[in-house]
Amino acid sequence: MTDKVKVRIDGEVIAATAGQTILEVARAHDKYIPALCYMEGLSAVGACRLCMVEVSGVARLLPACTTPVQEGLAVATTSPQIQSYRKMVIELLLVERNHVCAVCVSSGHCELQTLAQDHGVTHVRYPYNYPRLSVDTTHPRYVLDHNRCVLCSRCVRTCAEIEGAHVWDIAGRGIHSRLVSELQRPWGEATSCTSCGKCVQACPTGAMAEKGWGVEEMTKQRAGVSRLTSMREGQ
Amino acid sequence: MMIHDFAAFSAVREAGLAKLLPSRPRIAVGMGTCGSGNGAEAVYSAFASKIDASGLAVQLAPVGCFGFCAEEPLVNVWVPGRPLLMLHQVQPNHVDNILNGLGQLPPAEIVLCKIEEWDHLTGHVKYGSGYPDVPNWNEIPFFNGQVKIVLRNCGLINPDDIEEYIAVGGYQALYKVLIDQNPAGVIEQIKASKLRGRGGAGYLTGNKWEFLAKAAGPEKYLVCNADEGDPGAYMNRNEIESDPHALLEGMMIAGYVTGAAKGIIYVRAEYPLAVLRLERAIEQARAYGVLGHNVLGRGFDFDIEMVEGAGAFVCGEETALIASLEDECGRPRPRPPFPAQKGLYGKPTNINNVETWYNVAPIVSKGPAWFTEIGSAKSAGTKVFSLVGKVHSTGLVEMPLGTPLAKFIYDIGEGGTNGRDIKAVQTGGPSGGCIPVEMFDTPVDYETLAQLGSIMGSGGMVVMDEDNCMVDVARYFIEFTHSESCGKCVPCRVGLDKALRMLNGFTLGKATHEDIEALDELCRMVRDTSLCGLGQSAPNPVLTSLRHFRHEFEDHIVAKRCRAGVCEDLALSPCENSCPLHMNIPRFLQLYKEERLEDAFLSVILDNPLPASTGRVCQHPCDNRCRRAAVDESVNMRDVHRQIADEVLLTDKFDPMVEKVLARRLEPTGHEIAVVGAGPTGLACAYYLALLGHSVTVYESRPQAGGMLRYALPEYRLPKKVLDKEIELIERLGVKFQFNVTVGEGPGLNELANQHDAVFLAIGTWKEGWVYLPGTELTGVIPALPFLEAVSRNEQVPVGKNVVVIGGGNAAIDSARTARRLGADVTIVYRRERKDMPAIPEEILAAEHEGAKLLYLAAPHRITGDKNGQVRAIEAVRTKPGEFDTSGRRRPVPTDEVIRIECDTVILAVGEKVDPDFCKASGLKVKEAGTIEVDRYTLETSRDSFYAGGDLITGASNVSNAMGIGKKAARNIDKRLMGQDRFASLIPDFEYQMEPPETPSDFGRHVPGEMPAAQRVQSYAEVSLGLTALAAMEETTRCLRCDVRGSER
Amino acid sequence: MDKAKIGTCWLDGCSGCHMSLLDLDEGIVAVLEKADIVFGPLVDAQEWPEGVDVAVIEGAVSSQDDLKLAKIARVRSKVVVALGDCAVTGNVPSMRNGIPTRKLLERVYVEGATERPGTERPGVPTDGVPALLKQAQPLHSAIKVDVHVPGCPPKPSAILFVLSELLEGREPDLGSKLRFG
Repeated sequence: MTDKVKVRIDGEVIAATAGQTILEVARAHDKYIPALCYMEGLSAVGACRLCMVEVSGVARLLPACTTPVQEGLAVATTSPQIQSYRKMVIELLLVERNHVCAVCVSSGHCELQTLAQDHGVTHVRYPYNYPRLSVDTTHPRYVLDHNRCVLCSRCVRTCAEIEGAHVWDIAGRGIHSRLVSELQRPWGEATSCTSCGKCVQACPTGAMAEKGWGVEEMTKQRAGVSRLTSMREGQ
Repeated sequence: MMIHDFAAFSAVREAGLAKLLPSRPRIAVGMGTCGSGNGAEAVYSAFASKIDASGLAVQLAPVGCFGFCAEEPLVNVWVPGRPLLMLHQVQPNHVDNILNGLGQLPPAEIVLCKIEEWDHLTGHVKYGSGYPDVPNWNEIPFFNGQVKIVLRNCGLINPDDIEEYIAVGGYQALYKVLIDQNPAGVIEQIKASKLRGRGGAGYLTGNKWEFLAKAAGPEKYLVCNADEGDPGAYMNRNEIESDPHALLEGMMIAGYVTGAAKGIIYVRAEYPLAVLRLERAIEQARAYGVLGHNVLGRGFDFDIEMVEGAGAFVCGEETALIASLEDECGRPRPRPPFPAQKGLYGKPTNINNVETWYNVAPIVSKGPAWFTEIGSAKSAGTKVFSLVGKVHSTGLVEMPLGTPLAKFIYDIGEGGTNGRDIKAVQTGGPSGGCIPVEMFDTPVDYETLAQLGSIMGSGGMVVMDEDNCMVDVARYFIEFTHSESCGKCVPCRVGLDKALRMLNGFTLGKATHEDIEALDELCRMVRDTSLCGLGQSAPNPVLTSLRHFRHEFEDHIVAKRCRAGVCEDLALSPCENSCPLHMNIPRFLQLYKEERLEDAFLSVILDNPLPASTGRVCQHPCDNRCRRAAVDESVNMRDVHRQIADEVLLTDKFDPMVEKVLARRLEPTGHEIAVVGAGPTGLACAYYLALLGHSVTVYESRPQAGGMLRYALPEYRLPKKVLDKEIELIERLGVKFQFNVTVGEGPGLNELANQHDAVFLAIGTWKEGWVYLPGTELTGVIPALPFLEAVSRNEQVPVGKNVVVIGGGNAAIDSARTARRLGADVTIVYRRERKDMPAIPEEILAAEHEGAKLLYLAAPHRITGDKNGQVRAIEAVRTKPGEFDTSGRRRPVPTDEVIRIECDTVILAVGEKVDPDFCKASGLKVKEAGTIEVDRYTLETSRDSFYAGGDLITGASNVSNAMGIGKKAARNIDKRLMGQDRFASLIPDFEYQMEPPETPSDFGRHVPGEMPAAQRVQSYAEVSLGLTALAAMEETTRCLRCDVRGSER
Repeated sequence: MDKAKIGTCWLDGCSGCHMSLLDLDEGIVAVLEKADIVFGPLVDAQEWPEGVDVAVIEGAVSSQDDLKLAKIARVRSKVVVALGDCAVTGNVPSMRNGIPTRKLLERVYVEGATERPGTERPGVPTDGVPALLKQAQPLHSAIKVDVHVPGCPPKPSAILFVLSELLEGREPDLGSKLRFG
């Protein structure tokens, strides 16, 4: 059932398994394609659009995280246009909410911050939105700061797909979308939450953090969350 | 009644026919949402109670809508043996008349057309013949050329009665498919028909079906996407409301041939009537054994469920629709996997738009070859469009694909509303784009629209005219998609938010040139990277507007001006925005109303140096924009400022007022400026430059100032004593005039440049246009301008007894009326229709009153003379209106008919031109049309410190436009010389009431009196008597004060 | 050859970026060999001089005074460098931006003030303090900025690199030295 296919990524011929996505194949071979909403072990949703790549013979850009490979597929992981679009995605995320690295527990370990630095985002060309957002500190061990949320939905999927609790979801639409726990109930009052903390570990920014850490102190164990899935698959 | 065999089916069919064509008269009222909204319910109940009360043998039925929304409510009246009469705009008070006169024609104003027979495609109905004077349905412009496949039953059968549907051949195609038992053959038929998805993307329907048919497993789904949500699109609503069974039949045929047992119709909850009719149709179909278990007794099981969508626009996207059906949030999912592989509940699913399903039964009945005959090579069949917006006739239009846009807008829609010029059409709703009028020859099909950056979409067609601001239109659509974005992917969620903020900046006049580039870049990114169709297509309205209407964006940035007057922050009021001189009209109205004549005059004269002249001859664009017109009629602003001007200029108030104007003059600057040409443009420029403190010399080749105002406008329209006073004021401001000096012959441009700090060229269009027709060399053929000039100079003019004037502009009308005053019989010959004449309508009417004859649709082709070379007659070819050209007027097409008019004089008034030799000799950069090239915003020419304006840059124009350009030139010249914009400092701070009237005054529009026509032709005395002071005062109270805004918005 | 002129100023920020500038250690010697610092918190000059080559500006634009100084620095300087996160993103000063200015001032000066007996009732000061802008904005939303050096504060090595490149007439590319926070 595991059909082997040959694909070309940035010119290099790579052997892959049919059904794998471009992103999975690229990561397995140390080819860099940025992504924010993608996390190993979770279903792919194609939301952040950072992983858009060129596929030869296809006029449109395609998301690497949801496009399966097939025999003969040739991918370019970057181009001046892709680079400029990725930069814009990062800038849009930075202006959408209030990302103040200087006071963030995740500074130095934040995926958004790293993406900005890696993509040469020296400043943001769009005006900032400065929305007024709340911080949910009701949970005894964790805190949710909407100012830092990028709506990647990794926490949503971690909780639903790995923990099986489905505490989190996204309410509202468009620019008014918000992460909610249990139909808008404060996190601390969410009865379905098992306080396992995997959502916190999956969060790419400082939006979800353990209580008690200072600026730059919160590091996350994403690999541990991803490993759970692969271990279950191995059963 | 369960239909289990053909006999039962035939019996139902007969029963239906007996309802459709009963032995007594049948009256059917169009009761779609559109009809009901226009009062069809009241009409229906009026019929019902009258029939009940009188016991008349009349059958009454509700039907759907026949598509002509502008003419609702529509009522069909059929008397056995006669054609079906379609009545329009029927009101309850017509009901008695209609019922009492059955068999005869109702009042003409409610008769729209007749239908003698109708091809339902699956069946045929013969109504009868008669009513020879009533046009057939397809002779009405709105229906002419329409091909009704999808709408084949709409407005003709009762949507709530399955028997009527079966009567017109409904469910026969399904029956045939079930009997033939050849699913693959049907799929081949659909493939061969080249039917493409009508939801917008245009995939081949047959291929999609085949894919589903081949998908393994018993569980698969058919879905009908009825989540129509584009603003301005409502074709799906009408299709379901008018003919729900055709949708069910299409889905059932697909169910049989693809092996699906379940169909789901996802319909918006905002369509309550469609939901209701669909519910009833499903119930009836089940009750008749057409739907459910053992369909038509053929052993086929298929059921249809209806699901109401909560109204999220994004749920029209197929993966979001599936998520919504699964009780999830209506957010799109990535593809692959495609619904055909893993759709609803993970099972293979085929989704088609409402309209696609309506094409199925006719293709099965009539065969694919019939279908591909209609439409274009790549896009077969028809498409229903909702033609709405600024178009005369609105409604649902079903046309073969590939029909040019112009056909929709000018033939079907009959052009703009109130004769306004159409600017663009928006196709495809928020996902589509705007196509400018220059591209209206574009055929409407999937590929061509995509090439223009738009899409066909579900078929919305919103017409825009000069009152629509394209920046605002783009902003509106982004506001829509921004609020409908699901928020899942970053480009759509945040990108559209940023795009909306940028567009808001444009409408507030706060944007920069860099913003155009940034907006373009951002929109491309959103288009190229968004997750679903909503985000991918949302930028289309912006990108197409930036492509085709970039100048409007630039206007908002540079001139801070919204030509359409939509962006309120950029205009004082609609009248001010439309005025070429940007007069503060509400201010002078209010000052006059406060009985402050001096202030009112000062306000007027500082905005417009020739207020008495323009008060008489301006084309008054302000009238067309006045919001008072929505109450009764526009405010007569032109005649009020004429009155204000006359009260000062023609009385002893003149001298003291001149002093007051002089007091507004700024300190002398020491700058010397030359103005070439003393026409309205030159005078306006010189006046403002003098007020701004510069020393101005005007060079004029004629002996007096005024240009066209003096030498082309007849005395009876503009008495020269009025003009003289205005020019006197300009002279007293210090403007020096050098008459009888022709620049070029006398001083050259270099000489002027040496002596002055700036030169403004404002030479008019004195070079007469010439038609090339045989006989123009004959004695008695004279061009209009020299004719009018000679009369104005009191020179002897050789005009005979019978004069023919060729042309339709103001010069033609002026010539005709002048010739009448010289005692001649006058005929005006114009090649287009009356409504196309560029002259002021009141002037045309006045010419008629004075006895001038008008001959339209006649193109002169030769002038014949006698042996002495004297004009004897003119021959014209009768024309008929042909195709529309880009000016939105019908091109005159010659016929065989020739008209001959005996005459001795022919006046040619066929337009004036700028002297091309002057432009060429000037050494300035010249445009293709022969006019001088200038910067659109500053009026600078290619040569430093040289400015040009008026007809030199625009070609022949009118007085106010010319003056507006002179004013703009003065402002820019001053800004350049002084390094700052000092214009605002000319206007004193008039304090006046800044509150709108609580209730608008009851006065109707005041119209100035006129001398009787019989007296007029005897002299050159002024025709218009102006308003009285009292009438002018009353007129000012009619203003609604659009200039007053809420303090904190 | 004339030495280049560097001006620095400190808008709405914590002065940490200037501390980082002082932290160049011996690097400052190399800079001062090629340029003079002619204006800034480290210098006595009262007015931003004409003809500055490089303006280094710390802090967000938060008040009317900030705006005025930024505009003067812009017209009198060839190159403007936004130094630190506050100047580049608004950073901590911008955290007030979701709150209306009036409410903010009342919270700080009225609700937050301790009333001491015998002194005047606390109120929002109006004299001698510059009026707050509606929002604290990054420098590039007020004036054109040529080089952005984020960081809270930027590392001395990043500052040294940028200044050296500019003094050599090159456009600095921070590359891996780019860092927020």
